[in-house]
Amino acid sequence: MGVGPSTKETSLHHFRDPLVDIVGSDSGIDLMGVLVFGSPEGNEEKIRCSRTAAVVAECCRPDGVIVETDGWGNLDVDYVNCVNEIGERGIPVAGLNWSGTAGTFVVDSPYLDNVVDFNKNPEGIESNIVGENNYTADDVRECVKRLKIAMLKKGMNK
Amino acid sequence: MGVQEIDLRRLVIKSFHMTDVQMGDENKITMDGKLTIDGSYVKDLAERHSKVIEKIDIQIIQPGDHDRYTNTIMDIIPISTKVLGKCGEGITHTVTGVYVMPTGVDVDGEQAHEFGSSEGNLKDMLYLNRAGTPSDTDIIISFDITFKKGMGQERHAIIEAYHAVDEWIQVYREQMKKFNGNKATEKHEYHDVIRPGQKKVLIIKEMIAHGAMLDTWIFPNEPSGVAGGKSLIDYGCMPVMLTPNEFRDGAIHSMN
Repeated sequence: MGVGPSTKETSLHHFRDPLVDIVGSDSGIDLMGVLVFGSPEGNEEKIRCSRTAAVVAECCRPDGVIVETDGWGNLDVDYVNCVNEIGERGIPVAGLNWSGTAGTFVVDSPYLDNVVDFNKNPEGIESNIVGENNYTADDVRECVKRLKIAMLKKGMNK
Repeated sequence: MGVQEIDLRRLVIKSFHMTDVQMGDENKITMDGKLTIDGSYVKDLAERHSKVIEKIDIQIIQPGDHDRYTNTIMDIIPISTKVLGKCGEGITHTVTGVYVMPTGVDVDGEQAHEFGSSEGNLKDMLYLNRAGTPSDTDIIISFDITFKKGMGQERHAIIEAYHAVDEWIQVYREQMKKFNGNKATEKHEYHDVIRPGQKKVLIIKEMIAHGAMLDTWIFPNEPSGVAGGKSLIDYGCMPVMLTPNEFRDGAIHSMN
């Protein structure tokens, strides 16, 4: 299990990525950068790499983090661990992930509430239709909204 | 009063719109929107990679002409090239109106896929008008690779196939470097900026790095290219930080 045809992001998707576009042009956000990490096969490596991504985030002192992946199934292990490690460090976190009905999280964390499910298939399945289950500008706006609320809440609790 | 943005660097992406794609005697791209494909070049290309590739068929798919069979779709690739500066800054030329769609199958009909396959009727298997897919008015160049027996499942063969596509695209890139930027149909400016006082947000993207057809490459020599790049597997899957402009400038090539 990994990335299905309907969720996979093509090279063209990365070239005109709506996530970088929308977050980068939001005048209320200072976009620090895009941190990319690979999802390996082995469980131990998955935990190490996704935890290191959270460590890099902590060292950057962000006000908030958005975590995204086009993979599901075993990629949830690293994804959820990354979100969880960021949440445990007290950093507001939101995300984008494909779940539908077929790809719901295989692992859990208390920090997944702000993860937007970008499923587009009417039955919520991996349809094998290239591009169908990709996130769009609307999904990104919803994710940014959730992150902004989370950052606001943290500011009010100080 | 807002605090002034600090401008770190500028990336300009100039696009040239293609309206006419045809088979011809040479691989040629012109500023006024014509792209021709040399069938004999593609045949020689397959020959050069004959250890893993049996043959390559090119099909020029016009908008709306999607009621046709396709092998599994390996990627959708924009044709872009660096004209000035390094990745994430300077000038990049790209093409709109046409995108490259490599597809793959082996001589026995085994589709080149790992986790789900998108072969079938193209009108059913490609969702148009997404960020990562062509629009309903775009021309698609189907770059259909027939692998040698079993090679559609071998990582080295898949990588070589992506290199073959890249070699062919590079012929156009060399011509596009000489395009007059003033004749571009669109011009987009992107800035890496610091916005003092605003919420500092980091984007993290997890990308597949398992092996054949479940791979992601980073930092190719050319935008959305292959040559010069490396798999995230070679980086031990560890996090790599990119500026937003590096990401926008085709620093990532999907191989899933």
